[in-house]
Amino acid sequence: MPDGPLIVQSDKTLLLEVDHPRAAEARRAIAPFAELERAPEHVHTYRLTPLGLWNARAAGHDAEQVVAALMDFSRYPVPHALLVDVAETMARYGRLQLVQDPAHGLVLHALDRAVLAEVLKSRRTAGLVGERIGGPGGDSVVVHPSERGHLKQVLVKLGWPAEDLAGYVDGEKHAIALSSETVSTTPDGGEVRKPWSMRPYQEQAVEGFWHGGSGVVVLPCGAGKTIVGAGAMARSGTTTLILVTNTVSARQWRDELLRRTDLSEDEIGEYSGSRKEIRPVTIATYQVLTTRRKGVYTHLELLDARDWGLVLYDEVHLLPAPIFRMTADLQARRRLGLTATLVREDGREDEVFSLIGPKRFDAPWKDIEAQGYIAPADCVEVRLTLTEGDRMTYATAEPEDKYRLAASATGKNRVVERLVAQHPDDQVLVIGQYIDQLEELSAHLDAPLITGATTVRERQRLFDAFRSGEINHLVVSKVANFSIDLPEASVAIQVSGSFGSRQEEAQRLGRIMRPKADGRTAHFYAVVARDTVDQDFAAHRQRFLAEQGYAYRIVDAEDLEPA
Amino acid sequence: MPTSRPQPATFGETLRARGAGDLLTLLDARPDLATPAPSTIRSLGARATSRTSVERAVAHLDRCTLDVLEAVLVLGGTRPEDAGTSPDAVVAAVLGTRPAPDDAAAVRSAVADAGARLLVWESAADGAVRGAPGLEEVLGPHPAGLGPTGPAPTGPVGDLLADAPPGAREILAALTWGPPVGVTPRADPGLRAASDWLVAHRLLVPTDARYVVLPRGVGLALREGRTHRDARPRPPRAGGATVSSETRDAEAAGAALESVRLVGALLALWGESPTPVLRSGGLGVRDLRRLARELGTDEGAAASVAELALAAGLVADDGDDPPSFAPTTAADDWLDLDTTARWAALAASWATSARTPWSVGGRDERGTLRAALDPELSRPWVPRLRAAVLAVLAEQPETAPDDEGVLDVLRWRTPRTPPPTAAVAGLLAEAALLGVTGAGALAPTGRALLDDGSREPAHEAVLAPAGPGRVRALAEELGRILPPAVDEVLLQGDLTGIVPGRPSDALATLLDACADVESRGSALTVRFGAPSVTRALGAGRSADELLAALGAHSPVGVPQPLEYLVRDAARRHGSLRVGSASSYLRTEDPALVAGLAQDPALHHLGLFAVAPTVLAAHAPAAELRAALRARGLEPTVEGPGGQVLHAEQSATRLAGRPRPAWLGGGPVRRTRSLRPDPRAASVTAGPSEDPERRRARLAELADRLVAADAGAPAEPAERPAGTRALAPGSTGSSAAGSPPRRPAATHGDGAGWDLPPGGTTEPADSLALLREAIDGQRHVLLEIVGARGTPETRRVRPLRLDAGRLRALDTARDAELTVAVHRIASVRPA
Repeated sequence: MPDGPLIVQSDKTLLLEVDHPRAAEARRAIAPFAELERAPEHVHTYRLTPLGLWNARAAGHDAEQVVAALMDFSRYPVPHALLVDVAETMARYGRLQLVQDPAHGLVLHALDRAVLAEVLKSRRTAGLVGERIGGPGGDSVVVHPSERGHLKQVLVKLGWPAEDLAGYVDGEKHAIALSSETVSTTPDGGEVRKPWSMRPYQEQAVEGFWHGGSGVVVLPCGAGKTIVGAGAMARSGTTTLILVTNTVSARQWRDELLRRTDLSEDEIGEYSGSRKEIRPVTIATYQVLTTRRKGVYTHLELLDARDWGLVLYDEVHLLPAPIFRMTADLQARRRLGLTATLVREDGREDEVFSLIGPKRFDAPWKDIEAQGYIAPADCVEVRLTLTEGDRMTYATAEPEDKYRLAASATGKNRVVERLVAQHPDDQVLVIGQYIDQLEELSAHLDAPLITGATTVRERQRLFDAFRSGEINHLVVSKVANFSIDLPEASVAIQVSGSFGSRQEEAQRLGRIMRPKADGRTAHFYAVVARDTVDQDFAAHRQRFLAEQGYAYRIVDAEDLEPA
Repeated sequence: MPTSRPQPATFGETLRARGAGDLLTLLDARPDLATPAPSTIRSLGARATSRTSVERAVAHLDRCTLDVLEAVLVLGGTRPEDAGTSPDAVVAAVLGTRPAPDDAAAVRSAVADAGARLLVWESAADGAVRGAPGLEEVLGPHPAGLGPTGPAPTGPVGDLLADAPPGAREILAALTWGPPVGVTPRADPGLRAASDWLVAHRLLVPTDARYVVLPRGVGLALREGRTHRDARPRPPRAGGATVSSETRDAEAAGAALESVRLVGALLALWGESPTPVLRSGGLGVRDLRRLARELGTDEGAAASVAELALAAGLVADDGDDPPSFAPTTAADDWLDLDTTARWAALAASWATSARTPWSVGGRDERGTLRAALDPELSRPWVPRLRAAVLAVLAEQPETAPDDEGVLDVLRWRTPRTPPPTAAVAGLLAEAALLGVTGAGALAPTGRALLDDGSREPAHEAVLAPAGPGRVRALAEELGRILPPAVDEVLLQGDLTGIVPGRPSDALATLLDACADVESRGSALTVRFGAPSVTRALGAGRSADELLAALGAHSPVGVPQPLEYLVRDAARRHGSLRVGSASSYLRTEDPALVAGLAQDPALHHLGLFAVAPTVLAAHAPAAELRAALRARGLEPTVEGPGGQVLHAEQSATRLAGRPRPAWLGGGPVRRTRSLRPDPRAASVTAGPSEDPERRRARLAELADRLVAADAGAPAEPAERPAGTRALAPGSTGSSAAGSPPRRPAATHGDGAGWDLPPGGTTEPADSLALLREAIDGQRHVLLEIVGARGTPETRRVRPLRLDAGRLRALDTARDAELTVAVHRIASVRPA
């Protein structure tokens, strides 16, 4: 294929030329085994990783298909060593299997005894496995059921990932069906019924997950991850435990489930700091699960409170380490992880792979945007030149204070004012990190402020007012980073953030990506102080979105229209 | 010399009967026969049957010819009175009675070849073929694993075996295919009886009390007339994965480009900061590791890259003190070439190089780590082996044989001199690194290296040294397999750029200047960042030039974030500036500053305005102050913190002078300077040391260090003729007490030494005394320092002195002792 759309580099990156006539075909062919690393405007970069290749094996692809896809679409001859490596890596998956043995219970079964010998020799597997079945030459070894997750983690680290065929407990049956229409109340008390059904990609995601048993679905913010969750619950038809990041998010899950399924209010429980309800569908926060008293996780019994048939993890990229440990003990239950990005700032992607499961569905943001399911977004970085006084303060500040000083520069207030003035008809969110800066902005714009200190009731009231259009402007701290559903927000102005966090930037953009009734473009502004660490961090924060195809325009603050 | 004399009547006659053409073939196949030129055929015959010459001739024969020689020897003998054999009999013995026609032809041709080499000869008298005299000795006592001829057994072997006791067949089976010598079984009575029975029937012959041997006749009978069980008359083929020519060429081209890039990177690195040479002449482990890190390769590849650069003469030991490796002027010429020509220069130098980079990191016989670029790392056989390895690859152009496959072929070619495994693997790795092979198969670039002209004997073949014409041809060959150059870079909003192919030289230079490479291969991915753009600006490009250049190469324009990046970097670039001046002048009055800067009378101070109120001067502060005073101004001198200093404190003092005796004398006190003085670290010496004494002292120091390192005193005999060694001076005494220069003795010649009759504690004198004692077989009194530091004196007769150790005989105790030389405190004649 002399002029294919794909260039295969020997360092295992794949470059896909987007404008090539065969690009879409090539993308479909490589998507099952290559991880999309960057998707800027012209050339997308994919990477072949062991995890990705094993994901493909888990989904039933074999090395021959991978090699054929690479050779078929490659513009230049594919490096020989890479093809050999692909075949070898893929052959490592599934040489070990976790199966239920009628006599011995959970066992690790080897299709290749040498591999079993190798992993058993490792010090890491000591204590996770019991005696070898059939003497020292046997091909199976007993696994303590409680160590199923740990063993899988260790085997991935050793490079011999096990195929988990041990199955799942069925869990307690609880029929859940998706509704066929949504009901919403109009301000005058009437009811509006709208028919709905899952979008094609949501159905694919549910299918992908169900077929694989456990795993992670990656969808952009605003693409309806909750609906994928609801779909999975309906498919499972069992009691479900949903783990979410915070209480507000828990309430939104609840509302969404009420709208999208036939579950009644009594069937959905909230298990949070303020309420401790355990119902067939229970929504718990990460925080309450990780609460410890005298070194003991006090709410651990929740995990065993019912015979859960499905455990749902919202925002899997934020899953705290203790939950990983708890998840290791939940390997017999079906697990679905939902996230907008598998990028973890702590680099624990392999634990997600071994404990929650392989990636089962992924779609580039721009693809979903092109299908009209999320709003098109215009990302703008506004560069503000600091005043002489601010520059002097900044230059002589202690290094640890520099980001705060630059991020909360007073000049940003005027910039925000001008940006707000540019969007008189939009619902505008102003998002920031530092409370005093936000208080100042709130006073400046005469807009209400929501921080961690705001009560849940007050938050709810303000969000409702914002949704209904009573309030046009809202100043929020990082409490609004996740899972706050504000469909009509179309402009977000970010004045400061948690240093260089890429996923925070993606989450904040996600706040405004719900498709708008009139198809309006969303606007995302990041106000950045020029020539400071603020600018450096901004560059790092933007990498994920830039890689997803969102090109930032840069505008000088001086060029903005005066208010 | 156990040369069996040729039998003139027969072997000699055969030789004499050869025509000039046959003789030429012989002399061509065995070049050692021609130097020095033999005067007569008889002397040629004598030389051709000498053990050394036969050994040389046999050393490079292939498996098939060796098998044939063994078969001829076994069947036909060497002397006229031996039975003699025929080519047909040889074929049957080697291959059995029903050989494949091709195999039989190969064996026949091997017989003919052996004849041409005068290793077998055909008698005109009976037409039988026999081995050349001397062959038996070279092929060893058990040709083809058969024992010596012995007495005939008591009956036909088959008949005898029919009545053999249990165990006898097993014993014979163990000896049949050699080695034919066995140990007489003692422990097992049954086997013992079987063995005794075999001996009684002369199926085995005892050689002494313990061993028995299977006689040749019995062996052949048991083998049913075969001399070889699994003869391989034709060379094996090196098996391996099939590689398409596209993949092969693409990977070879990629590797070729990469090797050129790595050598270029090494030149840039060492050009900036030359890397130190070890005392033994190589590159230190840490420096190699650093090189590997900078090149982004492993250490093995880094060593190969450095060796490539060395072989091509692009880097060399600069010979300075201390020495470093640095690029040569040839490197500049090389850098002026285009990529293909650069590669051709590397490949041509590699083709004839005798270097062995694969041994870097291993240890030599003395346990010393072998360093890259070590002069010792050359082996004369490397070019021959390289040619042989490439020739094996050339036989199968679309196959990637593994190391073992290539070795297998080479072992068949020269079973008596099998190539070192590591060397073959190393050469294949080098070939892959250089792009001579692609995906393991010989690429057209590698084929161009093989000399297709006149074929020397296979084992002598080396790759021809490349002249300019061949280098050009190599470059063209690479040009043919290189993918077309791409002159476009797709610039993207995430500050990356992608060249979808091999970048053209101009584009590569541009991107090299202003971006960092993220991924190389068929395509190039680069990332722009503030540091990389600043680097380009620092190299003299302006933001506009850079953007224009990038825009010219980008079919999609320059994305806005990149434009901002460049402009922002340009705005910051150059805002901090560094210059040099010796002193400065500042005032609150800009008018005064302007006046002084223009004043012709102050011109010599080199005043220039740095800011409206600051002038800098090249003249030192004291001179500046004096000149301003002369102009009638009264400047105040200030310290670094701006505090006013009193004028006296800036008065001149000379530093770095010897202290007068009344101050207690002493070493020079040096002032600090920005450039550390390398000599400051050397041993301080008295104030008035004359240069010659200084040299002598340093030479002695050097000798002592070298000797200490090698574990032996400097060996006088190793000095080149005409140089004179300096006797080591006393280390403890001050310079004034060191002895005058004396001529040194050479080994075995004590006359040059004026040896102290009463013994000595001087190491060099001790050694001379010991040598004398060895030569004269005299006794000496040796004072040895024991492990705990206690001296002990022994009367010994020295036997041998080498490698830093003395072996001596203690006659009183009747014991031999070995002493490290450095433990010998003194030596006295006994």
